[in-house]
Amino acid sequence: MRIPCPFCGDRDASEFVYRGDAAPVRPQTDEGFFDYVYLRDNPAGPMREHWHHAQGCRNWLVVTRDTRDHTIHGVVLAREASR
Amino acid sequence: MNRLATGGLVERDKPLRFSFDGRAMTGLTGDTLASALVANGVALVGRSFKYHRPRGLLTAGPEEPNGLVTLGQGAAAEPNTRATVVPLCEGLTATSQNRWPNLRLDVLAVNQLAAPLLGAGFYYKTFMWPSKAWEKLYEPAIRRAAGLGALSGQPDPDAYDRGHAFCDLLVIGGGPCGLAAALAGARAGLRVILADGDLRLGGGLLSERRRVDGLAGADWAEQAVAELAGLKAKVLTRTTVFGVYDGSEYGALEELTSGGARQRLWKIVARRCVLASGAIERPLVFTGNDRPGVMMAGAVQTYLNRFAAVAGRRVTVATSTDSGWSVALDLLAAGVEVAAVVEARAAAPSAAAQAARAAGVQVLTSAHVTKARGAQLSGVEVAQAGGAVQRVACDVLAMSGGWSPAIGLGANLGARPAWSDAIQGFLIQSPPPGLAAAGAAAGRFDLAEALRDGDQAGRAAIEGLGLRAPDTPAPSAEPQDSAVASPWRTPQKAAKAFIDFQHDVTVADVDLATREGFVSVEHLKRYTTLGMATDQGKTSQLNGHAALAAATGKAIAEVGTILSRPPWLPVAIGAFAGHHRGRHFRPERRTASHDWAAAQGARFVDAGQWKRAQWFARPGESDWLTTVNREVTATRAGVGVCDVSTLGKIEVFGPDAGALLDRLYINTFSTLAVGKVRYGVMLREDGFVLDDGSVTRFGEDHFYVTTTTLNAAKVMQHIDFARQVLWPELDVQACSATEQWATYAVAGPNARALIQRVSLDIDLANAAFPPQAAAKVRWLGAPGRLVRMSFSGELAYEISVPARLGEAFVRALFEAGQGLGVTPYGTEALGVMRIEKGHPAGAELNGRTTAHDLGLGKMMSTKKDFIGRVMAGRPGLTDPDRPRLVGLKALAPNDRLRAGSHLLTLGAEARTENDQGYVTSAAWSPMLGASIALALLRRGPERYGEHIRLHDPVRGPEVLAEACAPTFFDPAGERVRG
Amino acid sequence: MAEPLHIQEQDDLAIAMVMARKGVDAATLGARLGFSPPTTPHLVDGPSGVRLIGVGPGAWLALAHDPPAGWAAFLADALAGVAAVSDQSSAYVVLRLSGPGAQDLMQSGVSIDLHPDSFPPGAAAITAIAHIGVTLWKLDDAPTFEVAVFRSFAAAFRAWIAAASAHA
Repeated sequence: MRIPCPFCGDRDASEFVYRGDAAPVRPQTDEGFFDYVYLRDNPAGPMREHWHHAQGCRNWLVVTRDTRDHTIHGVVLAREASR
Repeated sequence: MNRLATGGLVERDKPLRFSFDGRAMTGLTGDTLASALVANGVALVGRSFKYHRPRGLLTAGPEEPNGLVTLGQGAAAEPNTRATVVPLCEGLTATSQNRWPNLRLDVLAVNQLAAPLLGAGFYYKTFMWPSKAWEKLYEPAIRRAAGLGALSGQPDPDAYDRGHAFCDLLVIGGGPCGLAAALAGARAGLRVILADGDLRLGGGLLSERRRVDGLAGADWAEQAVAELAGLKAKVLTRTTVFGVYDGSEYGALEELTSGGARQRLWKIVARRCVLASGAIERPLVFTGNDRPGVMMAGAVQTYLNRFAAVAGRRVTVATSTDSGWSVALDLLAAGVEVAAVVEARAAAPSAAAQAARAAGVQVLTSAHVTKARGAQLSGVEVAQAGGAVQRVACDVLAMSGGWSPAIGLGANLGARPAWSDAIQGFLIQSPPPGLAAAGAAAGRFDLAEALRDGDQAGRAAIEGLGLRAPDTPAPSAEPQDSAVASPWRTPQKAAKAFIDFQHDVTVADVDLATREGFVSVEHLKRYTTLGMATDQGKTSQLNGHAALAAATGKAIAEVGTILSRPPWLPVAIGAFAGHHRGRHFRPERRTASHDWAAAQGARFVDAGQWKRAQWFARPGESDWLTTVNREVTATRAGVGVCDVSTLGKIEVFGPDAGALLDRLYINTFSTLAVGKVRYGVMLREDGFVLDDGSVTRFGEDHFYVTTTTLNAAKVMQHIDFARQVLWPELDVQACSATEQWATYAVAGPNARALIQRVSLDIDLANAAFPPQAAAKVRWLGAPGRLVRMSFSGELAYEISVPARLGEAFVRALFEAGQGLGVTPYGTEALGVMRIEKGHPAGAELNGRTTAHDLGLGKMMSTKKDFIGRVMAGRPGLTDPDRPRLVGLKALAPNDRLRAGSHLLTLGAEARTENDQGYVTSAAWSPMLGASIALALLRRGPERYGEHIRLHDPVRGPEVLAEACAPTFFDPAGERVRG
Repeated sequence: MAEPLHIQEQDDLAIAMVMARKGVDAATLGARLGFSPPTTPHLVDGPSGVRLIGVGPGAWLALAHDPPAGWAAFLADALAGVAAVSDQSSAYVVLRLSGPGAQDLMQSGVSIDLHPDSFPPGAAAITAIAHIGVTLWKLDDAPTFEVAVFRSFAAAFRAWIAAASAHA
């Protein structure tokens, strides 16, 4: 699998570390932490995910990947992703 | 010799000597091992997997199920090598497999008599009971009887190389279609890679007597390859593409003949791919169809035309395809006697039939071979439409049951192939992005069609990449008929009619599986093991599906076919490992003073990828414990030096650096004064401890973080996540500095004296440089960093110098320390001293402990938010009944406490529900003269003084210990202030 | 190796990581430095012998051959308030590989396209070779590559070079 890093370009997936669903947002209050830490959707289809380009530019990315066939629809820097 | 005097692509003036089963033979340059065996009249090449039936070569290509041999001897032996793809070379030694004592007399052939017991699913049925007999009796017996070649059991002496390639167009298969596609692409300026498993390109052109653009097929192929080379296309011969992966990545294996490595594993990224992998001929299914002498018609033709090797003296051709007739005509043209052509269809192709009859060949239509006669083929029985059966004497049967496009790679990513009535085979329905099948792989079997199709596929790739295809014409050939009859229908009650030759699966097995309810193709495969041998069913899959269709009364289209996963051909694990084996299994990290440590007698231990000095044995010390005790005692009495360069080091900069660290650690760092260091603990968001370490402030907007060795990368990633994802609004910059600094812990009562001798240009007096002080220093003009902190409980400093100078610095320390009793100590002594002081480390920071568990709960700030704060307050994590950190001291002086022991109260039965916790770290304390340990004990801090049983049923008897505070040595902490 | 390959360690290189403060763009840094830093994975040579290689958004490796003592601190002062500077001079071992054999060797190691059309002189990449993190850049069409590996991996990286060039 190849992942197009917005800075480095097209790279082998082995350079990246997978984290998971990019949707959960860290709660501002003490409520909602259980969901934030533990509850995850498992969609069949496009999913926004956090990947770390650990052996590249060391940026956290939001990768939109189709979980059915690994088609990658888009990659942006996580710090620039609209959340 | 069965070699023709003329013709073929072999060099008669370049003979090659080789041996098969110890028999010396001669072949020719250009031969494969298989063709040389045919030319030497060898019909029997192996014994079958389950029944040990004698087998001969079935095919002439990579799909070969029978002709598996072991090449070479000793450690370099390569078992299960297909004789059909091994180029013959001088001195080659090949041995047949799966027979004992020899190929002709195989004792285990009696398995044939037990065939009724070894039918479909025998593995699941026969050996169910008693279960104890499995390991001792059944499995060894099966392993001995069933099987292919044996591994040498010795380390693989070969090297394996790795390659990466990128191209616009990858063409898989170097036959006429693939060459046409590659030519089109290369002429348009595309970066083209053409990969083919064969040593020589041309595919079917080398086997058939056909002409392309007015040239003999092989000559045209040679010209095409020369043109491709001129166009800078990369032509990889003996290279099999074995897998298609996500993101247009392809795996390929190149067989190397020179250069020191056996194989090269290629990872190819291709924007477009033409799958021109051709088609595989299907066997006919009848009683005894596995007898030596029964071969694929296309194989007989390849041996004849490419290798000038004749498989027999009198050949019968049994066919349901037009291509079978061209084999008969080629044999006649070469002067080989053809006894009969058995045509399954009602009408034979008229021109070919006429020519055959004219040559005296018996032509039988609406006819089927029902039985092969003779252990070595002596003739066949043929049934005609009316039911009449006649015998035909022959020593070779050339059979053709149609062609299956070789589309396995196209289905690698999960697309199920679809049945085509037009070609009576399966085709790729929805290929992976960027890939298109062409030629025979797309069901276009005739040469003229395949050339045109390849050219068009090349052009489609060019246009798909937004370029213009040149106006050059496609290569052309005279069209020929390539009709195929519907595939073979199950003959009723055919005994020993084989479908999967390599796994010995017969029609009867498929019938049995069907009766037992295994009616999906995927279940049939697993229950009968059809298609699961090393050949992955290349010749057997479709016949298996046809048999299933017949047994269930369905059409093949309805039955469907299985998915195909990589690898398309067997790939040695060594090829995947490449350079990464033995001590290069993973890259090794060495600290700056590694060589110095080795010279001091260090024994190294793995800490992640790092090599760390575990202890420094001195001459005369035969026991590691003696060494470690000496290192601890010398450090606590004088001064010791430990290389702690492997700790993770992270620079954190920016106006908001303090704010970020406050959110990362349970304690507060924004208030840390410049020039001070503080211990800190990080949690994961779920409330458990992630890591611990120190944070030093070197400037208003400059912090220096250390992590444990094993968590360095994880913490760096965690910090990046916090500043890039969680709080991108903070103005913080961070980078690793682990590799910049070589860091040494200098500990012991003489630590200050030692450091003063190495001129760091700093006042180390307690008043000027108290505990927790930090400063930038200079050593010989180079920048350095000094912090006063202690892991050992002694007066201690950590000094960092640029890694380039690490070895020079450690030498300077030891030179300066002569007379102070300076001693190097390793991770074992480090571990003993931190256990004596009750500091948690890796064994305690195991991902399942909270700050509270480790006695660090009071560090958790209540004045700020930090990662893990909320979840650490969960009832489950604040339960007072949780196991918490305590010390344990052995009651009897000679008892040894062991890490991993479980804790029990006195008198409690050793059962899970009575478990009170476990020992995390244990050591012999030379200071206390006792075995001590750190443990996680339920309500531990409330139980100091209680006697606890350490239960360790695997390694030894129970031991009694007393629970105590985890700080065993200098509990008041006087020594660090020294 | 059939093709000529020359390998030489660049042991007089000073190296620093330069990281822009939040919201500070390359042009602002450029104004302080006197030349524009690259905003893509490429190298740019400045007038005073300083080379900047883009290694991430707002992140550069600064290199200088045999600079005066205190070079990194000097750089930090020059960029005070607009970028953080971390001296990494000891963190890397930099090898210069040149000659036609360098192309084959590098391509056998990295899973990025090093064809001159895709990776011309001046191009840079942070990637991995044989599971070892590398930063590499191309100086000319000879071709000449420079490869920076973390110092602790230098022996393992040399072992890979020996193995890979023995097979080619």
